[in-house]
Amino acid sequence: MDRTVALWLVTLVVGALNFASRVSFIAWFARNDMPPLLARALRHVPVAMLTAIVIPALVFVVPGSANLSPHNHKLIAGLAAGAVAWWSRNTVLTIAVGMATLWGVRYLVG
Amino acid sequence: MKRYFSRGPFLEGIRDMLPMLAGIVPFGIVCGVGAVSVGATPFTALAMSLIMFSGAAQIAATQLIADGAPLAVVVLTCFVLGLRFLMYSAAMAPYFKPLDARWRNLLAFLLTDQAFASTIQRFRECDDLRGNTSYFFGSGLVLWVVWGLSSVGGVLLGALIPAAWELDFVVPVCFIAILAPLLRDRISIIVFTTAALAAVALDALPMRLSLICAGLLAIASGLVADRVAARHG
Repeated sequence: MDRTVALWLVTLVVGALNFASRVSFIAWFARNDMPPLLARALRHVPVAMLTAIVIPALVFVVPGSANLSPHNHKLIAGLAAGAVAWWSRNTVLTIAVGMATLWGVRYLVG
Repeated sequence: MKRYFSRGPFLEGIRDMLPMLAGIVPFGIVCGVGAVSVGATPFTALAMSLIMFSGAAQIAATQLIADGAPLAVVVLTCFVLGLRFLMYSAAMAPYFKPLDARWRNLLAFLLTDQAFASTIQRFRECDDLRGNTSYFFGSGLVLWVVWGLSSVGGVLLGALIPAAWELDFVVPVCFIAILAPLLRDRISIIVFTTAALAAVALDALPMRLSLICAGLLAIASGLVADRVAARHG
């Protein structure tokens, strides 16, 4: 399928689904409709999904083969960014340190 | 309009959101860069930002499309990412109940991690419906506008910067900036560890299903850990 068509389809469908999630309890259900198990599961969504996206991006520099060695400059930069984010909670500083580490390690290790 | 709108709290909402924009602008730029890398035009990239209005979903979508995942998997993954809005929706619901349908829909559309985080305190402390509504509207609207503009900025920037700079690495770094500060208690670390191990172990699954499977396994591990923690008090 054409990339532009695919992007538009995803945009419209995900946009509609996101709006449905956002409006759900505000307009459709009563607040006490949420089953307690769902409420507890939802609290874990951010950590679970963000991790599932981030970790493969750091580990699989070459698609299909995991690289956990110190020669993986993305892994090193990701760990540095994680440490800065954990201590500082500062997005701009985290981006600066992450990118600087990426370029620095690549320059030093080649 | 007049019934729920007053100018003072609206402007206050805009002003209080300004410090958060420092984190939003780079993230929006990254979404624009990501959209270009899968072949989006500036107009498509702007539409993605203004319609999906969720950085996590936009980036996951562009990454999965770049990897050649089927559209159903892209949509399913983005849907699970967006489930956190159910949580915010339930938390805001009691405060928005007295509004008419038009205002409720408008404010629900503007509900994001940042708008929720920066307004919920005010809603809990003060019961001035008109002021709170205007404040939320101001916060949400400024985010939406700046989000759209910064993604267009990313499209323009992405076309200028050479590929050798690996600027697309800003994408995982932005996620790390959100993720790492959440890892402050034992249960979050269990969820993180499960998701990380599962995402690596399941990488060979077809159609990029590894992401959604790892996420769901990690949520399940969190529920088990909750139960164990409750039992041992």
